[in-house]
Amino acid sequence: MKPYDNILEINNLTVQAGEKTLLNNLNLTIPAGEVHALLGQNGSGKTTLMMTLMGFSGYEITNGVILFKGEDISKLNVYERAQLGIAISLQRSPTIDGVTLRSLLSHILRKTENADEKIIELAKLTNMEKFLDRSINDGLSGGEIKRAELLQLLAMDPQFSMMDEPDSGVDIVSLQLVGDLIKRVFTADEKHPAKRKSGLIITHSGNILNFVNIDKAHIMHEGRIGCSGNASIMLDNISKYGYEECIHCIGVGKQHE
Amino acid sequence: MNNKDNQTFDNMPNISQLSKLSETEYLNMTLPEDLPQDDIDMIAETGILFNQNNRSSTLVVRDQEPICLENDTDNFEMLPIAIALERYDWLREKYYFNAVPSDYDEVVKECASHKNPVGYFIRVKKGAKVDMPCQAAMYIASEDITQTVHNIVLLEEDSELSLITGCLTHNSVSKGLHHAVEEIYIGKNAKLTSTMVHSWGSEVSVYPRTATIVEENGVFESNYVSLRPAKHIQSNPKTYLNGKGATTRNLSIILAAKGSVIDTAGVVYLNAEDTSAEHVQRGVCTGGKMIQGGLLVGKERCRAHVDCAGMLLDESGEGYIESIPGIKTYNSDARMSHEASIGKVAPEQVEYLMARGLEEAEAVALLIRGFLGADVAGLGEDLDAQIAEIVKLAGHND
Repeated sequence: MKPYDNILEINNLTVQAGEKTLLNNLNLTIPAGEVHALLGQNGSGKTTLMMTLMGFSGYEITNGVILFKGEDISKLNVYERAQLGIAISLQRSPTIDGVTLRSLLSHILRKTENADEKIIELAKLTNMEKFLDRSINDGLSGGEIKRAELLQLLAMDPQFSMMDEPDSGVDIVSLQLVGDLIKRVFTADEKHPAKRKSGLIITHSGNILNFVNIDKAHIMHEGRIGCSGNASIMLDNISKYGYEECIHCIGVGKQHE
Repeated sequence: MNNKDNQTFDNMPNISQLSKLSETEYLNMTLPEDLPQDDIDMIAETGILFNQNNRSSTLVVRDQEPICLENDTDNFEMLPIAIALERYDWLREKYYFNAVPSDYDEVVKECASHKNPVGYFIRVKKGAKVDMPCQAAMYIASEDITQTVHNIVLLEEDSELSLITGCLTHNSVSKGLHHAVEEIYIGKNAKLTSTMVHSWGSEVSVYPRTATIVEENGVFESNYVSLRPAKHIQSNPKTYLNGKGATTRNLSIILAAKGSVIDTAGVVYLNAEDTSAEHVQRGVCTGGKMIQGGLLVGKERCRAHVDCAGMLLDESGEGYIESIPGIKTYNSDARMSHEASIGKVAPEQVEYLMARGLEEAEAVALLIRGFLGADVAGLGEDLDAQIAEIVKLAGHND
């Protein structure tokens, strides 16, 4: 493998679904060890970007490249990307009848020693023990589904985690737990304590900033990154002036750096 | 065809003495461990395990001959049926072709024409609870023969038994015919758990004719698994819940592969007060014709539910699933319901699992296993292997 500085580098990415262009000449770079936030109005392309990075079907790359650790992954399928260390926590994950959370975790941890103990340990950590033998996401509340997603991410222990609104639908009491779990996903690996795991988080609120150090934020607009900068300042501006101001700013080509 | 819906049997004989084979009779038998290793391995795929301490007794029928019998327990007997018929006049009088009438159809008539029937007779003594499962294998080892078997299971009052039956063809055999009559009598407060696994060659036709009579508060739990491609399976087992409070739960897990015609149904007659039945069919179709059904007939105040669900994994348009769950009620206090559904493996679920690091075939197998709801006792790894084969049949690569 080539040496790399950036865990993710997206160059001129254009993505279509049918006739519709969803991402338009998008550029984004995330250095190894950094966690970035993705902001933007509904429909700006945030979820599309994550689904495309994971390799889900329905998102056709018509131009551009996606480099993960310096290698082009745009032709790889979902499984191959997961094997490389990419993972996603979906905003809306499916209910899967008959497949228990425990059985999925057993598959994820099939090469791990003491997998059964590890499952119990992670389930306790995420307060999901009572749902282990239930069908995946069956009858779970919004907050419980978020915890189930984070539980699976913790079991996968990926190099690069994408989280699509991991704190939406989470009640105030559980917010602390979810925040701690998100932080844990990015905890430094033992071999390189200085370097965190990397990732990208879609959020609409500043809550996550209380738990995770966000290195940089990006605002998406009409399928591209319009503006990048300090997450706190950007969220502060958005809460004061709304996205309209940002869009105006993007429109005149100014960058908050 | 005989359509009686109130089959009965007289009080069970209460004969304290159980019999075992005499030494001379044993001389003709092989020890299971002396069977060829590939036979042992194949039979094991249907849940029949030799040389283990977790089975109470074993009978093996190869082609048209009982070849192995091991029985170490004293509270029940397992005999080749021909020997049992010689010993017990009451067996022929009261139980032989009683639950299944000898003129039921052409298959049963063919079975009835055999002077020396082949199969097992099992009787569990009153009050006996057999700890470990009892097992029987019926396999066809010769090309293009007809195997005809007749089995009778008799559970006296307050007794319990778990029975595992494997019916299969040797790997070298592709063509054949299997005719079977099975008559099961479950006495008052007795409980039978039956797991039957079929594993047939692709040109084998299979016609089981089964009837079960359950007395007061008796319980009949039945799991049927057939996940290898067969040419034709046609069965419609009858269960008569004749005693107050009698219960049955049936689960069938079935594959219809390309070229197969699989027609499995089942009728439960709820003939007494407070009887209950749950009849569940799960079918996976990879290109064959699958007809799955189940009819519940409520004569008295009872509770019953029939649920047929199919997963169609075939894009050719040739295979189909037809689900026909039915209920028929004579009593206004009967609470009966039915449901049916046919679906496919949802691509978004496959991708979701792939995003968790599962290969496509692994993800599809997990979804099929989840759909089948298959945690059938004693079949763990073999069931996984059979589901992996189905995933390949459905065109999902490793």
